[in-house]
Amino acid sequence: MSALDLVVTAVDDSVPDVRSVTLARPDGGTLPSFTPGSHIVVQCGDVANAYSLTSDSVQPTSYQISVLKQPDGSGGSVWIHGLTVGDAVSVLPPRSAFAPILRARKHLLVAAGIGVTPMISHLRSAKQWGRDVELLYVHKPGRGAHLDDIAELADNARLFTTRADFLAELPDTLATQPFGTHLYICGPTTFIDDVVAAAEAHGWPPSRIHFERFGIGALDPGEPFTVKLADTGTTIAVDSGVSLLEALEAAGHDIPNLCRQGVCGECRLTVTSGEILHRDMYLTDADKAAGDAIMACVSRAACPELELKL
Amino acid sequence: MGEQRQLEVSTHVKPPLELTSVPRWTVEPTLPDADLTGATWTVLAIGPDAGPVVDSWSAQITCARPGAALTVHHVADADAATAALDAALAGARVGWRLMVAGPAHECLQVRAHAVRNEVADDEMTFASTEVDHRVVLCVHCGTRTYASAGIEDVVVCTGCGCNLLVYYHVSRRQGAHLGFKVDAEQLEQTA
Repeated sequence: MSALDLVVTAVDDSVPDVRSVTLARPDGGTLPSFTPGSHIVVQCGDVANAYSLTSDSVQPTSYQISVLKQPDGSGGSVWIHGLTVGDAVSVLPPRSAFAPILRARKHLLVAAGIGVTPMISHLRSAKQWGRDVELLYVHKPGRGAHLDDIAELADNARLFTTRADFLAELPDTLATQPFGTHLYICGPTTFIDDVVAAAEAHGWPPSRIHFERFGIGALDPGEPFTVKLADTGTTIAVDSGVSLLEALEAAGHDIPNLCRQGVCGECRLTVTSGEILHRDMYLTDADKAAGDAIMACVSRAACPELELKL
Repeated sequence: MGEQRQLEVSTHVKPPLELTSVPRWTVEPTLPDADLTGATWTVLAIGPDAGPVVDSWSAQITCARPGAALTVHHVADADAATAALDAALAGARVGWRLMVAGPAHECLQVRAHAVRNEVADDEMTFASTEVDHRVVLCVHCGTRTYASAGIEDVVVCTGCGCNLLVYYHVSRRQGAHLGFKVDAEQLEQTA
């Protein structure tokens, strides 16, 4: 993937702590089209973060992202909040990991907080193609992002400013969806877990439930372990609080990586023996059960020693 | 020179069924447990042999979910089953499950109808009471031939008379095995 060199053409800080940034080519040329629900990976100084695209997806001349400021994060959102018009920004082309299911009879979108961002491009495409769509959006009072887009794009949207109000309406909403509906969820991990559990309790099968996680909670530092490299027999210690990826890099190994938070799938390594403590959101349940692949940025060993084939 | 070389028939390897589109329940009679993850159920019993199967499913569902919204239809054939399926789908909500018991070839016909109506694989359960008969779709004339045949058997197409090999492929949308002319490269006998 070759990076796109873009410039900031507009910033919008009208929602507290949420900054919307518009990016374009310096010559104003067309950018790659994308599937609704796609994200771009933005190089934010030393870290690379994935942000959902909220703008028009067909032959766009600009990309828009909305970023919640997280002062305790790894620095990416703070970096975005420091941008000004004219600044250069390097991004990777759009990647689709949360696309609408086109054969769905109806699309039920459920979002919390800044998790509304992928839903905006879903709403745009639903409006364009006349798809039946319903949105439930929970946000803090006065902190709702993209409310004007929602008013323009969604005929059927319910907004909530408390989790309790939302949870009061959720069961009935899940119980009364016409057969053929697909459910899309984006928000903090606990929010996704709660909505998925509620959907399953109302008989929703896995094939109709789709979600995109972001802002993963801080992972615990984990137990120390050692890795043995199958090719050379070298062993490397991975201390508590140090990721496998960091330990391998410190030992001079160049491991492809991008998000460093278990989402993007770049740092997948082959495990030849040892039990894995999977903590990523990339591998499928079947991949995890197979036990032969590890996402080095977040996952660890569930035993004293892992053997890897680099 | 002039030596006739006899082509040896190669040792035939059957593909693992899970790598084909042939459901295992169409090859061996299969009685799975009821799907208890749903919220409402439509249970279809095709033919007399399916009765005991749906009775046990009903017992499993009502035991796990007392007062469950469960509708059971006892029908004679796949056409009657798809009619009952249409009626159920008309008012169905997400959480609905389809469970079908009957001869495998009739279950496949019901499955095809369900697939065309966007029922997902994790919303359907099938029990096969009989797996000896197949519906074979002729790729040459499109006729469906019903016959007592296993996979790799040859059946005569009732439409065009071709000798059809019952191939390791079940069309999800047609609910039938693919059959193709097994002797296409042999010279036709002239009288």
